[in-house]
Amino acid sequence: MPAFRNDWIAKSLAGTLLGFALAVAISGLFAWVGPGGIAAVNKYQMIMWLVVPLWLGILSACFLFRDGLRAWIWLGGACALAYAGLFIGRHLTR
Amino acid sequence: MTRLTRGDLIRLYKTIHTWTGIVAGLALFIAFYAGALTMFKEPLARWASPPAAALTPPDRVDELITRTLAARPDARKDFTLYLGDGRGVPGRLSWQKSRQDESPWVAELTEGGELEIVQRSPSALAQIVDFLHRTAGIPGDLDIGTAFTGVMSALYLLALVSGVVVLLPSLVKDFFALRLGPNLKRLWLDAHNLVGIVSLPFHMVIALTSVVFGLHDTIYDSLDAVVYEGRLRQVMRASSPFNAVRPDERPAAMLSHQELIARVVATEPGFQPVSLQYREGGTRGALVRVWGHDPRYLVRGKGFAVISPLTGEVVNTEYLPGHQGPWSATVASFFSLHFGSFGGTPIRWSYFFLGLAGAFLFYSGNLLWIETRRKTQRREGGPVEQPRSVRLMAAATVGVCLGCVCGLSLTIAAGQWLPGRVEDVNAWHRGLYYALFLGSVTWAVVRGAARAGSDLLWLAAATTAAIPLTALLARTVPELGLEPAMEGEFGVELVALCGALCFAAMARAARRRTANGPRDSIWSAAGPCPVPAEGK
Repeated sequence: MPAFRNDWIAKSLAGTLLGFALAVAISGLFAWVGPGGIAAVNKYQMIMWLVVPLWLGILSACFLFRDGLRAWIWLGGACALAYAGLFIGRHLTR
Repeated sequence: MTRLTRGDLIRLYKTIHTWTGIVAGLALFIAFYAGALTMFKEPLARWASPPAAALTPPDRVDELITRTLAARPDARKDFTLYLGDGRGVPGRLSWQKSRQDESPWVAELTEGGELEIVQRSPSALAQIVDFLHRTAGIPGDLDIGTAFTGVMSALYLLALVSGVVVLLPSLVKDFFALRLGPNLKRLWLDAHNLVGIVSLPFHMVIALTSVVFGLHDTIYDSLDAVVYEGRLRQVMRASSPFNAVRPDERPAAMLSHQELIARVVATEPGFQPVSLQYREGGTRGALVRVWGHDPRYLVRGKGFAVISPLTGEVVNTEYLPGHQGPWSATVASFFSLHFGSFGGTPIRWSYFFLGLAGAFLFYSGNLLWIETRRKTQRREGGPVEQPRSVRLMAAATVGVCLGCVCGLSLTIAAGQWLPGRVEDVNAWHRGLYYALFLGSVTWAVVRGAARAGSDLLWLAAATTAAIPLTALLARTVPELGLEPAMEGEFGVELVALCGALCFAAMARAARRRTANGPRDSIWSAAGPCPVPAEGK
């Protein structure tokens, strides 16, 4: 197994950028398929609030990846999945 | 090393804790200290505002509204009627020409029945305290300042999470330990951990909500692009509480304001209205937001019901405590948890002390950073010169934290001196704060942290004592023409007096330490010493 590396810059960037993108996608998925659907009164505010704990939760945990490259690969993969889910959810609930 | 051991994990998060803490700590100190004061924004505004001119009596308010709308068509779009007897509000009827308009217009009926329209500044003092809280003292544009605080709060959340990870393994052992021994660093660390863990829920709430308050525009823009397919604006509009009525500019008669209040209170008997905000008043498209408090609920500062002034029908309760939909109620609770706008006075005081404890957390965090990095003098070794980074960080910590305290106290004390003496009260409030703040930082860098620490603490005691002294002068020497605070209200003075005594006690302790403390400490004024000091 390769050694653990801190890779501060690569991991911080992955957590900040991909973490944000992932948080937006998960919140968005909840906006479309969660209770009330996309148009429930004032649900958009809750969706915006949801982004922050998700984003910072991912950012807090992303330093646990074994190295920077793995952080980018795993979070990138999670993003791809989440955005695919968002795309499908949007079309199924329309 | 193949796997991350427990020790590695703690080291990893300790690095994160150190870096996020040291970058965000000073900004957060300012935001927390000013934030603690904003809990008493209303008493502060009353303290610094001149005695209210007699407001138009309630039975003539409807006449006031009609005549103001006839005389000033620019008020129609959005004007507010303040209830109550009026200290801390601009006047009975008030409107702004635009959101940037800092001095609202005020209309009153004189005793002779004449319509009087003047431009009147609201309490500049409450505004500057709020501004410092929201921007952590970054001057200039409010939006840039809040975005800065948002980013700092994200670092603050990382610091909280990492601090808990670091502390968890030894939590049970360390929690109630406050080792009052010769090892001062251990004592500071214990105090830092204790305050951090005890107020952790508060800090998690404040950190998360502050990130939202600072960065919500960016988050909404991102959501609009990838989730709402560019139609977020329509989604927002569909949720607007004003949808019940279409704009219609044809004139129409409105019900009396007492009737509107009665209808809203009939809908929710526990609701205590404080103001009525009219939109397109006097037209068929008119709507009124009746704003008020209900301490039984978690609300965003104030809640409101939307009522039609033509029919008296309550048309929207999405922001009325107890009548909200699930999403609105949930979001309102987040605002409420940040503002401490629930549960009345006991929660206000709790938030005040939690805010001060937060400021202590950042101050002590910086002290620990300095203590960890300073060079200690060995028994046989020669004198030590502290590294530049340690000296600068110590000076910045002392200068920024105490500069913020001194600046705020001075600008509060000035609240009763400035009105009527200077042209632009707002600019003076800001000027006084920044002058003292920058002056303190410069003083700390020039004098060194050790000497500046006790100097600035004495200054903090003096400026804070100036608040009750000002009030005393205002009441006893009327020739000075000061604006005395409300009769029978002494809260601001008493808190300031306690604060001044605390600062004086800290100043004495700091001076003692400068003189007698270990010489290799950053807090010793003695500088590098030729003779090895006796043990720590």
